[in-house]
Amino acid sequence: MAAALAATLPAPQSAPAPSAPTYEAIPASMAKVIDIEAEIPITSVQLDAIVVSKIIKHAREAPGSSAHGLLLGLDLDGTFEVSNSFPLPHHANDEDDKSAKGLARYQGSMLRSLKEVQADDSVIGFYQGMTLGSFFNQTLVDTQAIHQEKLRHGGVVIVHDISQTTRGNASFRAFRLTKAFLDAYKRNNFSTSSLIDHRLTFSRILEEMPLKIRTNALVSSFLGALTEGSPSPATETNPALASSSAAIPPSYSRLNLGTANTPRNLELITEALDNYKTEEGNLAYLQRQIAREKARADTYVAKRKEENASRVAAGLPPLPEEDVSRLFKIPPEPSRLESMLLLGRIDAYGKSLEETASTGLVKMYASKTNGGN
Amino acid sequence: MPLGPPSSAVFIQNAAPGFISTPGRTPTSVSVHPVALFSILDHYLRRTDAQERVIGTLLGTRSDNGEVEVRSSFAVLHSETAEQVAVDMEYHRTMYDLHHKVHPKEVIVGWYSTGSNLNTYSALIQNFYSQETAPHQAIHLALNTGIEEGQQPGVQAYVGSPVGVNPKPENCVFVPIPCELRFNDAERSGLDLLTSNLSQTGNATFTNPTSDLELLERSLVSVSEMLDRVLSYVQSVLSGEVKGDAAVGRYLMDALGPSTEDLEKGEFNSHLQDTLMVSYLANLVRSQAEVSSRLALVKAS
Repeated sequence: MAAALAATLPAPQSAPAPSAPTYEAIPASMAKVIDIEAEIPITSVQLDAIVVSKIIKHAREAPGSSAHGLLLGLDLDGTFEVSNSFPLPHHANDEDDKSAKGLARYQGSMLRSLKEVQADDSVIGFYQGMTLGSFFNQTLVDTQAIHQEKLRHGGVVIVHDISQTTRGNASFRAFRLTKAFLDAYKRNNFSTSSLIDHRLTFSRILEEMPLKIRTNALVSSFLGALTEGSPSPATETNPALASSSAAIPPSYSRLNLGTANTPRNLELITEALDNYKTEEGNLAYLQRQIAREKARADTYVAKRKEENASRVAAGLPPLPEEDVSRLFKIPPEPSRLESMLLLGRIDAYGKSLEETASTGLVKMYASKTNGGN
Repeated sequence: MPLGPPSSAVFIQNAAPGFISTPGRTPTSVSVHPVALFSILDHYLRRTDAQERVIGTLLGTRSDNGEVEVRSSFAVLHSETAEQVAVDMEYHRTMYDLHHKVHPKEVIVGWYSTGSNLNTYSALIQNFYSQETAPHQAIHLALNTGIEEGQQPGVQAYVGSPVGVNPKPENCVFVPIPCELRFNDAERSGLDLLTSNLSQTGNATFTNPTSDLELLERSLVSVSEMLDRVLSYVQSVLSGEVKGDAAVGRYLMDALGPSTEDLEKGEFNSHLQDTLMVSYLANLVRSQAEVSSRLALVKAS
């Protein structure tokens, strides 16, 4: 998928529309906030109401946590303004070349279509659905790495936790890759020494950006009218019932004891731990193999030196020093990226479990007090 | 939940036999998801100056009992002049095909337009969409954005019904049908997120994320406020200031009645232990993960 994304992304410096070559002077009031050369660093992300609802809908309907799509919008004065988004179709096997091409076609025509109805059509990132706080995976990192290369300002990834949203806390977070990680990623080197050089742990793969939610004036007024509701005859006589007729009544779903997710969460932790153990086993095996091969090479070199020394002593010409690396295949040091991502996932599951437990405690004591009275 | 101002309209079921030319059940009610609503509003914001109103296609599902669920929508290009109306059908098809790839279950159920005036062009467009949704009837959502003076924002749903001795495409009676806003738990919390900053002035923005505990606190505070309100109401009834409402009394009885006996019979303690255990485990796992990632860094040195 990552390759397909890369193929369809617009060039980083997207050329102005060919039909409108006349440039209007940028008004003085905007001169400071519009940067043509992409010089103002991006410090925050802003989501429109429509994007919020679109992502929630897609994440809820997509199977598993596979929902992903593109974010469209502009950057203005150091803020990514995400004004629209569209979902990408879900493919079972991303390796399929045909599906990758289909995806590229899909994106192209979707962008064209959106442009026709005056919607923003510049890609500034992508979003990813997740469950129980775990969003570290290879695809996310790959895609974001490509985006950070190609897109203006490097793009952003927004993750949305569907399980938390169902519990009543709509959760959106914006991330991008840290410089250290990107550097290591470019060199495709995640050996231990490289990790030490870049001081990389799982918590330093992604950096979070502050995220704002914006409702434009039209949506605000519409929602305002809905939440207020209209005064019905019943409420006029009895002000105590006033808020009951609103279109969007207040919700108390988050007061539910709601421990239904906990077993699933525990299962996921165990699964991730198992995976991590396997991965660690693999790494250790490879390490041992490297050590063994190195030892063999060293003994060979030492032996050859010894032999040469004796030959020189006997007045014979020394044997040529052969290239050891050709004789002994020392495997390259294994990448620790996968194990790092797994650790990140474990941490995220742990965190979401912790949150559930802590709110659970509060709720339990609350209901206990109610019973006690 | 109702969408828009209450009307005195009686919803007629046009079930006269032999009159409806299309088979399939007549839609009896419409429910709209927030995402469709926001798409329409966004489309309206992005219209060109020349456009009086915007139209687009509604996608969703139909259930057997005649209920239509509008799950999303997309904008469609169209132009209206005094002489003619044109809808970009090719664009409509392309968008539908694209949409279908991601949400294969959603089909065309009808169309929307902004503003609440229904005219001949509305009838023509309705006719076009009826062909698209055949054999089912197309629904029409008229969304009033409420920006013109004296108009309430709101949504009305209609089904088209042919009129006249010889039905013509440009003649059509729009029969109103009930329409409500529908959301599930996830959409609900999304709406909460959006509505929570309505009271702030200006271009309201605020920062995420909030933790579960904060939200819980907010809910508890609002519950406690409601209890205070109920308490003051009950006290004023008791002191004879206000005449008691029997219905309110019964509701209160139902709401405050449920007991938590189960929790008291030792269940509480065992549950408490479980929760504490889970919390301990979670912390343990997290610190182990942290330690492990640090260890990976020091191994070679």
